[in-house]
Amino acid sequence: MSKVLAYKRESELPRVPVSLGDMKWSRTGSWRYMRPEYEDKTPPCNQACPAGIDIVRFLMLVEEGKIKDAWLKIKEENPFPGTCGRVCFHPCEAHCNRGQYDQPVSINGLERFVADATRRATLRHLDRNPKNAEKIAIIGSGPAGLSCAYHLARLGYDPEVFEALSVPGGILRVGIPEYRLSTDVLRREISDIEALGVKIRTGMRVDKQFLDRHEEEYQAIFLATGAHHSQQMDIPEEEGPGVIPGLTFLREIKMDQKIRPGKRVAVIGGGNTALDAARSALRLGSQPFILYRRSQDEMPAFTGEIEEALEEGVRIEFLTQPVRIIREKGRMAGIECVKMRLGGVDQSGRKRPIPVQGSNFTLDVDGILVAVGEVPDTSLVGDSGVFTVEEVSQSESRGIFFGGDLVSPFRTVAHAIGSGKRAAISIDAFLRKENASQALEMTQIGENGTVSMRKYLDPEYRALSRHVVSFDELNTAYFESMERTERRRAPVSGRIRNFREVNRGLSSREARYEAERCFKCGTCNECENCYVFCPDVSILKNMRKLKHAINYDYCKGCGICFNECPRGAISIKEEER
Amino acid sequence: MKKVMTGNEAVAHGVKLSRVQVISAYPITPQTTIVEELSEMCADGRLQARFLKVESEHSAMASILASCTAGARSFTATSSHGLALMHEMLHWAAGARLPVVMVNVNRALGSPWNIWTEQTDSLSQRDTGWIQLYCENNQEVVDTIPQAYRIAEIVKLPVMVVLDAFVLSHTAEPTDIPDADLVDEFLPPFKSDFTLTSRRHQAFNPIMSPDYYMEFRHKIQEAMDQTKKVARDVDEEYERLLGRGYGVMEKYNWDGFDTVLVTSGAVTSTSRFVADELNREGIRVGLLKIKMFRPFPTEEIREVLGGLRKVAVLDRGLSFGQSGFFAQEIRSTFCNEEERPRIFGFVTGLGGRDVTPEMIREMIIHTLENDRPKEEIIWVGLKQ
Repeated sequence: MSKVLAYKRESELPRVPVSLGDMKWSRTGSWRYMRPEYEDKTPPCNQACPAGIDIVRFLMLVEEGKIKDAWLKIKEENPFPGTCGRVCFHPCEAHCNRGQYDQPVSINGLERFVADATRRATLRHLDRNPKNAEKIAIIGSGPAGLSCAYHLARLGYDPEVFEALSVPGGILRVGIPEYRLSTDVLRREISDIEALGVKIRTGMRVDKQFLDRHEEEYQAIFLATGAHHSQQMDIPEEEGPGVIPGLTFLREIKMDQKIRPGKRVAVIGGGNTALDAARSALRLGSQPFILYRRSQDEMPAFTGEIEEALEEGVRIEFLTQPVRIIREKGRMAGIECVKMRLGGVDQSGRKRPIPVQGSNFTLDVDGILVAVGEVPDTSLVGDSGVFTVEEVSQSESRGIFFGGDLVSPFRTVAHAIGSGKRAAISIDAFLRKENASQALEMTQIGENGTVSMRKYLDPEYRALSRHVVSFDELNTAYFESMERTERRRAPVSGRIRNFREVNRGLSSREARYEAERCFKCGTCNECENCYVFCPDVSILKNMRKLKHAINYDYCKGCGICFNECPRGAISIKEEER
Repeated sequence: MKKVMTGNEAVAHGVKLSRVQVISAYPITPQTTIVEELSEMCADGRLQARFLKVESEHSAMASILASCTAGARSFTATSSHGLALMHEMLHWAAGARLPVVMVNVNRALGSPWNIWTEQTDSLSQRDTGWIQLYCENNQEVVDTIPQAYRIAEIVKLPVMVVLDAFVLSHTAEPTDIPDADLVDEFLPPFKSDFTLTSRRHQAFNPIMSPDYYMEFRHKIQEAMDQTKKVARDVDEEYERLLGRGYGVMEKYNWDGFDTVLVTSGAVTSTSRFVADELNREGIRVGLLKIKMFRPFPTEEIREVLGGLRKVAVLDRGLSFGQSGFFAQEIRSTFCNEEERPRIFGFVTGLGGRDVTPEMIREMIIHTLENDRPKEEIIWVGLKQ
């Protein structure tokens, strides 16, 4: 290392002091009082996704052109990328940090692209656990039930799914019109689930007696029967021909039943079912108009759906509430309505509609589709009543779990998928006599309560920390403005007379471009800024795949890597000594 | 080959002839066209050198110190504020005994902003351990750069070559480009004491205790003393090979004079004109042009100015609270001498104000007519 040299005279000294060796012995890391660390964090999109998809990493794979790997990455958390890529309300995009820079990344479009581009791929490469012997029954084959079945299959179970209808898929199969979600796409994703060993028994309506027998046959039961009962308007003359519940109408169409709602059809409600019913009626040759008691701002339907409906010529009468159906000689002659005005904000957070005295008027209609909300059938739930807050509730002693729209106030496909996954983890923990809420806590993504199956299956996996990266934590100097690619729609003239898909997918070039737009918030993508900037040459590359490390022997803790990381994948904290 | 070129182009030609291997610079008026020309030479292959773009003059100097340590002949150029920003690295260069060459285009310092010529920027770096060579015209510029490398690489000290903003840097005059083969003969390739590669590491200039630091400083002073002779020898060799020499100082009209004016830089040319004019009128005036300011040629100055009664010194810059730089240096040269001239220190032409023949004549007449200077600084051309 070093030895002491003693010089007596200047003439013995060299011109300049030079060490013949290097300075590696001088471990300057001991000077450090701040310690940078690579820490992959939760991007806001991932936290916002109720299904818990690792969005950044699937986008990174798209960017690398590894579309099949991207598909498997989605499938780690969500068995329905093709479905969600079409019908999800994509809160990921609403929370995308890029939205604060230019426009959010087209994540939903990318999800669909990945699913559509991998039609012949199989799940052979997805991790799975060894087989377990316990029998599990799942009641309902909607997104919650099938998600639960899928994740249980990956955990090594062979769950049985019971479906009352003759076809599997629940609301996805019978509640979403073909022009938004084609049955082929759904069928393919369900067959992936069946390929993992899940048995789906259709035409099996489960009743109380079945549940009572469960203790002998099944060690756990997941109830996910959805919310299929259309609510009534509760107005005079509602009972009678010509009035069809919205969901019934949609189901009949999807089941290829001949159903004609009338020539002039009033659709009551402002949610997605109302929009779907109106647009389906339009496609069957009717002239639909939607009656909604509040204004457009309060409509619970997805914005895109409202836009598409208006584009297609669906009329929406805002601030209008039916008060009575007019029937003459048993035939429907019209609907009497009253105009509304908006008052103060009510419990739902929306402005309360108040009838305007004397503003009644009559609309000439010969058919009415009622879509003022759906409620679950809680007869199987038992005496405890309707669950409204907990997404997954559990009666541990009996091994009965509830999920999906049956108990959730959110009523979206993505929430149902997330709920099914939570149920799968809870059931597995229950059967292993472990603490289910602890298991859910361990696998949580960010702070919103969505969970990661990848984390559950592989606790060693390079997991994201719970910290959610905010826009302020990014160094946006390293990003340039790139305009978002909007998905194209079929021209209106070509779509209002048939049920062909309205939205078009992204091309592979557009998909690559959109994936490139992703900031990769909180995830190191080896951009090498840290490596380039580190004044102490203390960034060690490729210690493991996709993992840089810091050489703490020499890192002085200057924090340049932390500041220059464009995506917040490096953290810095005070050194503990 | 003679070409009409500006002082800055002359610099670029001098650098090219010196076969510099690494150039790192940050642009600043009036130096910019030097690095523009050099970057083009690097880009089109006329000059086989690496051109490093950097974010500041401090980094420009730091990076050529690194490349020079690694064994490459290295160059930078700057001016005024850029030179001031390098200050820390100037000390480092001398301490590390790195034979780099830098061109400084003399420009006044702010505030207030001023981009025109004045010598305060380079003269206020006199204590950094750099050899300083002041040029009078573009020909001297192109000839001085190979000489600077030769001197630097012998004595292992950095050299600053200085020329006036605009008066030289942006003014074109016929200039002979020295023959490249002859320059190659004059200036052998740089042989560094050390060669560094990405595989071969060494550590330089570590912390030095009070036990030895002083000895390393003494060695720098010895090298400076050695430079006085080396610079003369190098210039003589250059003259022998290429036909032009400048000395470390130059005497002009050096016989039978009544008084002597000391000058440096481009204003020397104007002074030559005035001296000739006065001589024709019967007033004998000698000129002493000082080219090498560091090391200061104390002995030679004693020899040529000793015995004179009065000497006028023209300074284009000053140390506030003292006086003009050259006047101070010449005064201190004589302080222990029995016989010493009276030094008339003139300060003029600050911030690029023209120094006209009339002003130079005024200085000379003032010196002739007064027995002793009434104050340390005699301001010329000041609006009073």
